Amino acid sequence: MNGSGKVILNAGIEKAWDVLLNPQALKNCIMGCTKLEPVEENKYEAVLSIGIAAVKGKYESTIEIADIQKPNHYKLIVKGEGGPGSVEATGAVDLVPIDENTTELNYTYDAEVGGKVAMVGQRMLNGVAKLIIQDFFKKFNKELAKSEQSV
Amino acid sequence: MSKVIGKRVTRVEDKRLLTGQGKYIDDIGTPPNTAHAAILRSPYPHAKIISIDYSEALKIPGVKGVVTGKDVQPLLNPFSVGVSAPVKYYPIAIDKVRYVGEPVAVVVAKNRYIAEDALEKIKVKYETLEPIVDIERALEEGAPILHENVGSNIANHRTFHYGDVDKAFQQADRIVKHRFHFPKYSATPVETYGIIAQYEESTDSYTIHANFHGPFVLHSIMAGALKVPSNRLRIIIPKDIGGSYGIKAGIFPYIVLCSVVSRLVGCPVKWIEDRQEHLAASSSCTDRVTYIEAAVRNDGKVLGLKMKIMDNVGAYIRAPEPACLYRNHANTTGAYDIPNLMLDAYAVMTNKLPTGLIRGYGGQETYFPLERIMQMIADELEMDPADVIRRNLIKKEQFPYKTASGGVYDSGDYEKAFDLLLKTGKYEEFRKKQIEARKKGKLLGVGLAVIVEPSGSNMGYITIALTPEERKAGLPKSGCTEAATISIDPMGNVNVRISTTPTGQGHETVASQIVSEILGIPHDKINVVAELDTATSAWSIASGSYSSRFASMGSSAVYYAAQKVKRKLIKIAAHLLQIDEDSLTIENGQIISKTDPSKSISIKRVAGSAHWNPLSLPEGMEPGIYETAYYTAQAEPPDDNDLINSSITYGFVADLVTVEIDPETGEIHILDYYTVHDAGKLLNPLIVDGQILGGLVHGLGGAMYEELVYDDKGQLLTGSFMDYLCPTATEIPRVTIKHIETPSPLTPLGAKGLGEGNTMSAPVVIANAVNDALKPYGVIIDSLPITPNKVWSMINQSTKQGVSS
Repeated sequence: MNGSGKVILNAGIEKAWDVLLNPQALKNCIMGCTKLEPVEENKYEAVLSIGIAAVKGKYESTIEIADIQKPNHYKLIVKGEGGPGSVEATGAVDLVPIDENTTELNYTYDAEVGGKVAMVGQRMLNGVAKLIIQDFFKKFNKELAKSEQSV
Repeated sequence: MSKVIGKRVTRVEDKRLLTGQGKYIDDIGTPPNTAHAAILRSPYPHAKIISIDYSEALKIPGVKGVVTGKDVQPLLNPFSVGVSAPVKYYPIAIDKVRYVGEPVAVVVAKNRYIAEDALEKIKVKYETLEPIVDIERALEEGAPILHENVGSNIANHRTFHYGDVDKAFQQADRIVKHRFHFPKYSATPVETYGIIAQYEESTDSYTIHANFHGPFVLHSIMAGALKVPSNRLRIIIPKDIGGSYGIKAGIFPYIVLCSVVSRLVGCPVKWIEDRQEHLAASSSCTDRVTYIEAAVRNDGKVLGLKMKIMDNVGAYIRAPEPACLYRNHANTTGAYDIPNLMLDAYAVMTNKLPTGLIRGYGGQETYFPLERIMQMIADELEMDPADVIRRNLIKKEQFPYKTASGGVYDSGDYEKAFDLLLKTGKYEEFRKKQIEARKKGKLLGVGLAVIVEPSGSNMGYITIALTPEERKAGLPKSGCTEAATISIDPMGNVNVRISTTPTGQGHETVASQIVSEILGIPHDKINVVAELDTATSAWSIASGSYSSRFASMGSSAVYYAAQKVKRKLIKIAAHLLQIDEDSLTIENGQIISKTDPSKSISIKRVAGSAHWNPLSLPEGMEPGIYETAYYTAQAEPPDDNDLINSSITYGFVADLVTVEIDPETGEIHILDYYTVHDAGKLLNPLIVDGQILGGLVHGLGGAMYEELVYDDKGQLLTGSFMDYLCPTATEIPRVTIKHIETPSPLTPLGAKGLGEGNTMSAPVVIANAVNDALKPYGVIIDSLPITPNKVWSMINQSTKQGVSS
């Protein structure tokens, strides 16, 4: 399964970058994320509770941030395993400044699922992925607004 | 009650089944302290297991233990299997997983809920390896290897030459050839696998209750895997099994797994498989690629066949595989007189679920290419397919017919059955209708298929997987033994014990009919017990419910046991009446003189004497009435030329299917399904028609709906009934069944097995019908299932103009 898309962020590129790489902000934005803790530089351990079709459960995962070209580009490598099966995904994020308070974010992703989630949830996956991503950026714009206020 | 054999007797099983009084595995009680198992399964098709950490799972209250491959390995031998490739198959992954769904750990807990929850606490580290799922790619140089010690993915390879194939191909006017792919599909009984396993330390023995239905040759394999003498593995089959269609033979690795888990955890263990586990990790038929070449004369006569067949047996070859390759060996040439045959047969291992028995076992894989190529021959020669079939059918006077590969077809009148089919299905009329319909832009098609339905497997056939030299190293296997026991109690009532472990086919009813007719007792007064117990039943390696063997083998054992009882009753009666036993006969519960009806005595009295007053019996006779008969048909081991009569009796099925296709959507509408059967003498036509209908619907699934789809990464995509489609009542077309009866000379009642025939024929006859409808588009259907999507794509990608619209 793969996909791509773009969203407009209501922040300048530096600001957007900082929030994107802030673990607490990320935890708040990722649907079902109950834990996100750094284990080493640019590597996190996360617990995600996600339901896809009839398959609900917890994935214990590692999220690695690689290929960092601040403030324009990075890659996410996600590996997760849990009761419902396994997930391996890579995503690339590219930021393009539009103006002082606006940044365009382009993303691509490629994901493979295994086990139960593939057996019964395959047809739902694309929809679920879109839902998770849309939800992420909706919350992310809120996080940006929150951090604006806190400045 | 006389002449009850052959009557449409209603099933004695149905009352209890329809009133909720069936006794299935989940209905029988469990021993005190029984715990429940849940199985952690691999999400990866091919990976090394680096570590398994189950410490968190053990902390959950109610969890009694966790067992992994490393724990069971010292207690088990790998399962033995009839090939020389050194594949090590255990019921749980040891250091590598090879298919999605393979057991990795077992949690045993107070109840299933706790066990399931605990599974999520187990942390398994895997190192993923490249998977391989494609049959032909698995054979290529450089393909990922599943079993390093085997060195390739080939589990078995044999080549057979029968007759003079080269000469046949030289003499042919033309060669018609094609590649066909048959899909991997399942059986989906309503009741899934279920096991209650108990290890007793004091005797080092295992007692198992399981809905296993044989073949009981697998009992030896299970005992071998558990490293116990076979009388220390007692397997008891419940009264009722909720369907199987072959797939429950594949429960045997789980029996061994639950057994050893019971031993390690120290309590009885119960496991009921769930539906997702069943689809992903029970068993299935093989998917098969066949390259078929026919040497054809211009008059439609087929002189010879060459086939390269490649069966995908999944991640591990396991018994009784590679039997799928060879079960139809004797009838490879189907209903045709084709004396020259070359076969190049492979069993290939890939990262898919291991395979096993499924209704039709190998038949659908065999007849799909054969009956498709017959239609292609007709198309190429611009002949009517019915004429090509008739040109090649074995003639009545050729029976018993010896096939190229060693089969002996016991009886038949194929032309008569085929003519009845064309007449019943109004073939000529439909052809005219089809021409008219095409003019109006409608796509009508008619398909034909004729097949030979083998029943009662020769235990020697599986050794054809070995070369004649390899076979010499082992002991020969032959026959097709079945047993039955009949007793009469002190009050003169009859109990019958059978070892055919029915899974819903009505064996109790038919056994009671046979005993009724021979002993002159109403069939509903006869009690038939079908609960096989390996410690107390009369059984043998061939026992069980598979290869349609009840009507041919099981019924024969019942027949001979009843004859033994009858002889004893008559001997006692002759002694009591002081008349010659030859003058006596049994009628309506009485043993009566044929010449002087005033001289008679009741069976109740005679049988009672054997218990209450044994001193009244003829001198030297044992008291009691308790007779067991073991029966086998003549079934020889393979000879040095690899000739093998792989089955005992051979029935005949001829199908005619008409379809209409919607060119806009690709939807296939089956207008009519006609099927003509010759299964010898029918024992109970009511049950026969039920079995035919069930087998047909399973074949319909293979033709149009069912497939265990794996993506190229080895992930199963059809793991629930949302994606794995089974035909339901609304998909069943109008079916017309006709019979002719050519009794088998080999069985005492003239019966042959049936119930699998249309599972073998439906996929190809529907493919032929659809292909006939799509003829204007010049397409060839060479894979299944035929979905609307496939049909639509064929129509739209065709370069030929379709019908005018």
